Amino acid sequence: MALLSIKNLTIGYQTKEGILKAVDDISFELEKGRPLGFVGESGCGKTTLGMTLMGLLPDNARILGGSIGFQNKDLTQLNEDQWRKVRGKEIAMIFQAAMNALNPVMRVDEQVIEAIVTHQPEISPNDLENRINELFDLVEIPRARMKDFPHEYSGGMKQRVIIAMALACNPKLIIADEPTTALDVIVQDQILKEIKIIQQAMDTGLIFISHDIAVVASVCEDICVMYGGQIVETGTKQEVFASPRHPYTKALLGSYLSLDNQASVIIPDMREAPDLTLKSGSCRFAVNCKRCSRACKIGIPHWANISKTHRVLCCDETITGKTNE
Amino acid sequence: MSKLNPKKSPLIEMKGVTKEYTPRKQFFSKSQNKVLALNSIDLSIEKGEIFGLVGQSGSGKTTTGRLLVRLEAPTSGSIYLNGSPINRLKGASLKAYRSKVQMIFQDPYQSLNPHLSISDTILEPLVVHGIGNASAQREKVLHTLEIVGLTPSNDFYDRYPHQLSGGQRQRVAVARAIVLDPDFIVADEPTSMLDATIAIQLFKLLTDIRKKFDMTFLFITHNLAAANYLCDKIAVIHEGHIVEVNTTDKIIHHPEHPYTKKLIQVQPGFNFGGRRG
Repeated sequence: MALLSIKNLTIGYQTKEGILKAVDDISFELEKGRPLGFVGESGCGKTTLGMTLMGLLPDNARILGGSIGFQNKDLTQLNEDQWRKVRGKEIAMIFQAAMNALNPVMRVDEQVIEAIVTHQPEISPNDLENRINELFDLVEIPRARMKDFPHEYSGGMKQRVIIAMALACNPKLIIADEPTTALDVIVQDQILKEIKIIQQAMDTGLIFISHDIAVVASVCEDICVMYGGQIVETGTKQEVFASPRHPYTKALLGSYLSLDNQASVIIPDMREAPDLTLKSGSCRFAVNCKRCSRACKIGIPHWANISKTHRVLCCDETITGKTNE
Repeated sequence: MSKLNPKKSPLIEMKGVTKEYTPRKQFFSKSQNKVLALNSIDLSIEKGEIFGLVGQSGSGKTTTGRLLVRLEAPTSGSIYLNGSPINRLKGASLKAYRSKVQMIFQDPYQSLNPHLSISDTILEPLVVHGIGNASAQREKVLHTLEIVGLTPSNDFYDRYPHQLSGGQRQRVAVARAIVLDPDFIVADEPTSMLDATIAIQLFKLLTDIRKKFDMTFLFITHNLAAANYLCDKIAVIHEGHIVEVNTTDKIIHHPEHPYTKKLIQVQPGFNFGGRRG
């Protein structure tokens, strides 16, 4: 059975202009020990999705429908007390801004201790010390630096502490939301390698959220591409990145700069932000889509299976059709 | 101005520029630990070039940009624009220098004043430097909006920053930088806050502007792939030292310094050999 199975999840923000659907009717499953990557640009709903899985949605957001199945529970039905038992223990998060996610007036080891003691109040002092040492070894922070304050750490070390806190209770699922965005390339490279090694060693499920396709590709095996609150294409990284189908995935890949592709870079003509107030099911990418026809604007995109794992959401027959490849 | 100079003379030149920061004096501290942000660097940028300055955070690349637009003064060493030193500029001559050298900042969410409309933001440099009368200024702003791709320009003229997306805001910042027809623009990580699809459009805009107006850019970035795409020459900066300067092609394909090699090696990339786009 899948570790996490999300069905038709829709999340809306109450605004003056009506309800904005930041996450619109998405469904996916995550197997135990698999890393799953979410890519998309800012505002596509990837962080809202992560926050929903942690039960940390802001007050003006509501779950409008769907279910989140996790260990025989539906997470959408939990109240705050029940969430407190899941959050940090079963599902943990590696937050985006390493610079701000730590408490500046607490020593680093105390912050990790707090994460353990909250969920295991009866742990013995000996066990606690062993566990702390083990965690700091795992993320490769020297024990001599454990009693430092966060400001004495570099950005990369702070991010390692955040990872240690996330791992503190051996969670079954880790959500990493842009864990390396604030770091520069050399440190990013180290942290990504570390996340991958730890994820494999602990055999946890991982949901990895980023706007950078290369970062996602280096950690994850399966990829979901999001646009305007919808998952528009999903498959293994080979399928999605080597033979993309959805026009948005193509635009995203085409505009990615690497050291050896500048001749083949395609400059997309994307001006408008997706309209999140549209009714569920309609194509959000239509305003920016080069292939958009009248049928796209009236019709409702449907999921087409390209292969067993590779699926795409579109109206265009030539894109969804299997004959094209 | 360029006609007066022999063809190969640099537009901007830095000679032995050092910048030290002195931390605030602490009550009980014994010694003053000075922070050496830049350690005797030499740079020369020719007219019409897009020159890349690549390095990690804390390497001194932003300090270099701030020195060039005279937001700060170097501790020692000198900077030349068209062969004349800028270190001792004051008053009117400093103001004239500032009209020739402009900057595009990193974060378009913070670099635009939320109380000023788009037109006021772009008008401000014209007003400060007293260029043209009101109707000429309006024409100039509308024309500049068109150059940066904010069309129809009448439509954007009276809008405010909060009504624009990040990419559009950064275009406003570009418009503000080019409205005085400067000789030289420092672009400090102009796309690090933008998504890939938007960033690449901004790069296109910068190359178009360079082609159209023969403008010179210093492009500051931590992203070697972006520098590779945009720049003619790249300087790699590490802990306040410039470790390697060469043409883009040589830096990317035949790096010499171990730090440059390391930067190239950790550059995230993916290659599935598939077709793109």
